[in-house]
Parts: sequence; structure tokens; C-alpha cells
Amino acid sequence: MSKLHVTRRTVQVLVVVFMLLIPVLARYQNYVAAREIDRVLERWSGTAAGGVLQAVDTTMRALPGAEKERAGRVQRDRAQVLEYAQLARGGPWSATVGPVSMTDPLGAVESMVASRALPWVLLASLLVPLAATLLLGRIFCSWICPVGFLLELTDKMRGAMRFLEIRPRDLKPSRTTKYGVLAAGLVLTAVLAIPVLGYVYPPAIVGREAHDVVFAFFDRAEMGRFGPWAGGLSWMALLLVAIISFEVLVSRRWWCRYVCPGGALYSLIGWARPVRVKLQSDRCTQCALCVAACPEGLNPMKNQMGMECDNCGECVASCGDDALAFGFDGPLIDVLRPSEREVHAESKQ
Amino acid sequence: MSELTRRQVLGQIATGTAAVIGLGTGGWLAAGVGPAVACVRPPGALDEDDFLATCIRCGRCADACPNRCIVGFTEETGREVSMRPGAGQRGTPVIFPRRQACMLCNGVPGDTLRCTAACPTGALSPVEKTEEALGNVDMGLAEVDQHLCYSFNGASCGVCVRSCPLEGTALRAGLWERPEVDPDACIGCGLCERSCVHYPQAIRVRPRGDIV
Repeated sequence: MSKLHVTRRTVQVLVVVFMLLIPVLARYQNYVAAREIDRVLERWSGTAAGGVLQAVDTTMRALPGAEKERAGRVQRDRAQVLEYAQLARGGPWSATVGPVSMTDPLGAVESMVASRALPWVLLASLLVPLAATLLLGRIFCSWICPVGFLLELTDKMRGAMRFLEIRPRDLKPSRTTKYGVLAAGLVLTAVLAIPVLGYVYPPAIVGREAHDVVFAFFDRAEMGRFGPWAGGLSWMALLLVAIISFEVLVSRRWWCRYVCPGGALYSLIGWARPVRVKLQSDRCTQCALCVAACPEGLNPMKNQMGMECDNCGECVASCGDDALAFGFDGPLIDVLRPSEREVHAESKQ
Repeated sequence: MSELTRRQVLGQIATGTAAVIGLGTGGWLAAGVGPAVACVRPPGALDEDDFLATCIRCGRCADACPNRCIVGFTEETGREVSMRPGAGQRGTPVIFPRRQACMLCNGVPGDTLRCTAACPTGALSPVEKTEEALGNVDMGLAEVDQHLCYSFNGASCGVCVRSCPLEGTALRAGLWERPEVDPDACIGCGLCERSCVHYPQAIRVRPRGDIV
């Protein structure tokens, strides 16, 4: 387990935690602002929903300035707690964390194409994702996207399939398909004047389903039903099931490599990213561990870290010869430092 | 171009089919079950057509609403009030005043209405919590059904008038507590509809797009 791998997993888990925490915070805000939260807590004490709400409330009250004394009793500072409760909102499709608003470029492009307008708020919301992608490439796919994470985990099920004597296929269609999907989706968006891709974009679906499941949990509690629940999922969750089944049985990382319109857009934006994995061929022993490790199915030994690479760093982590490392490279760097290239060419002669 | 293997061709067919099914599903979800219906949008919303084109259905405004009156418009959420999302309306933020009405972030800290500050696309433009800005909000218009209203039928009630945040201007109590709506002042928050003790509601908000 390398440090890079552990860091990436931690970020991915944090994203999932946040995704589930945000709807909880939304409900907490509602109970503070428009209900009597103390009575809700009292009524729900000893139940799962009560426990979750109590945990959030205790955390909130422990934050600086969230409590005040009035008439000899320590109480919530309502205004301050409501301020804290709005720190995180949304989901992987579009979110605010603290003062930073972030929107998936796919959503922004869709909104632009459908409405033929680019308001300042949308531009501001694009700032962080665009900057990160221009610099680091498709890192949303490898470090943030909860569906990418899910598919990485279900990847392990292919072994289980083999154990069950079911031979998983590994079809490898063309990677350019996803650019076609993106183009077709944007044409459809322009024709209908409605952002269409957001309905079927897996990270957006996961965010919505996470909200629905958490809200169903609290809705049941409000009706006095505190038992285990399995509601809230819409039939759109079936699309995720279909993607996972395909992943396990038909083709590895099928959605991310060949179909995802969001991934396609991130690839295009990150085309000239300066930070990428670099190969030092003199150190490489051709052991091909990196080829097996690459979730995108690329071959780092051939140094083909083009726009399909999502900078996850698994190849760097897998390399036992220190032949792979993150460095500065790519067309942008070539333009900025043409002299170095010439120097390099001269030294080769 | 290199020769295609059977595996590549099969993969391409599977991927192409999946892509067509995916985009088709998206288009089908966007198309909805009929023409767009008039519904109450959150404050500061663009006109319906522009709104449907601009909104990315991210749900941030719904997360931000302290009164939980904003919900995504789906078959499930609409069922309670017998409404179904029409063309392009699925997943868009909507207020069903009978279920929960907009309290204009009353008593909640902040200078702007929270949903409008949360919107990343400009589908909702920021509304400041000043008397003037709030007065310019136009979500809809309250309408009284005199056949249903208690105050028009021998029992004085006045609950809706008391619930109005612009009491005295938007909604006034007339003789026998009869509600009188000023169409210019009413902003369509729906608190009157929410508070109406008659069922079906004798005072209702007619959505902005539905006012002739």
C-alpha cells in the first residue's frame, strides 16, 4: 500500500461521506430553522434517526461560537448554527463547500448550450473545477467521482465471478466513443433546450439517490417509523446496477473508458495538462506491473499518458523500479520551454 | 488502420447500444409526460422556458431551503398534490404551497434568500432580504374561492390574513375577516394557502406562468 494509493482512497471515502452528510445537514437546518429541534431530538431519542441527528447537533454545538448562555441555560446560538449548517450543500454534480462553489463542467456546458447564456455565477462556479482540470487533467474521475470509486471496488468482483466459473469478458471498444456520446448529448440538449445529460450522468444520479435515501430515512422517522429502511431509491438506481453488471461481466471500467460524457469533457479540458506521469525508460525493467494496475487500461511503459490518463497515480504506486513519477510535461510545457527540448535533442546526438 | 478483432466489434456494438439507450433515457426523462404544467418556482426564478434551459437540476436550492418547501419536481413528490412533471420539468425545484410554503427566510441569518444564493447557474437570481427586493419577488398570485372561504360563508376566519408576511398590503382583512388580495403586492409565497383551514384550500397560489 503506497502513500499515494492510501491518500486517493481517503479522498474517495471522504467524498462519499460528504455526499451522505450533506442531506443530513439540510434536514438538520430545517429542524433548527422551522421546527423545534429539541423536541424532535427528545421524541427520537434512542432511535437511529435520533442518533444521527444528535451526533450532528453535538458536533455543531461544539463548533466555536455555536452556544450561548441565556437565562442561566446554555443554548444553541441559532443564527450561528444555521450559518454552520449551510457550509456544505449539493452533491458530485454541483456543490458548495464553505465559500467555494463547484459545478461539473458538463453541467455548466449543458446549461450554457441549452440557455445560450453564461452568467457570472456559473463562471465563478466553474473556476475551481476548470483550474484543477487544466492543471491536473481528469482528476475528478480518479479522485472524486463516486461512481469511479464504486467501479474500482466492484472490479474485485471479477475474481469472484471466476471462482463461480463464470468467465468475465473484457471487451475493448474504441475510446473515442465517449466523445461521440458527449457530442450527441450536447446536440440533444441544444435541440430540446433542456439539460439532458444530467438525468443520466452517473455521478449526478448517485448524488440525487443519496439525497433521496437520507430524506426517506428522516421522513420515516417523522412518521414515527424507526425501523430499518430500504426506501428512497428511484428506478434510476437501476442504471447504476446496469453499469456495475457490465463492469463485472463484460468489460473493465467500461463506463469510464468508453462511454462517460463527463469523462470525455474532462479529457478534452485536461488535454494540455502540465502535470502528468513521466516514464524514465532507462530505469524501466518492463515488468508490466503498471499495465495491470492502470484502471484506464493504458500502458505507462510506452509512455502513452495522453488525455485518457486520469492522473490516479496507481502506476506510480505499483512501480517497483522508480521508473514512473509525476512531473511536468505535455504540450503546454513544450511551448513554455522549447529550449530544453533542443538541449535534450542535442545531448542525444 | 489496424484490423478490427471480433472482440472490438462486439465491444463497439455493446457500447454504441448502451450509449443510445442512455441518451434515449435522458431524452425521455426530459420529455416528461405531456406539456409543461404551471407550478410555483422558488423566488428569483427566470421565466419558465429559460428556467428549464438554465437549471441543471442539482438540488442545491432544495438543500439550502430552511423551510424545506423546495423539492425536486418528480412523480413521487408531485403525487401528494396530484401534479406530474411535464416536458423538461423533471427534477426542477418547485414549491407546492399546500405541502410547505416559502417563508422568505424569515428569522434565518443572511442577507439574501438562501435558495437564490445557492443557485450555481443563475436560474435563480439572488434576492436580497430588503423590503423592496422581497416586494419584487413574483412566484405567483393568491386567489380566493368565495364559494369555499369560511369568511364569505357566514363564519369569520382570517387565518390566511394573519399568516401573510405582507399583511395589510398583499392580503387585507375586509368585513367579516374576508381576505382581499392586492395583485400588485402579492408575491405568491403561499403561506396563506398553507395556513388555510378549509379543505380543499379556499385560497390558493396561482403560479406566475398561469396568470392571464
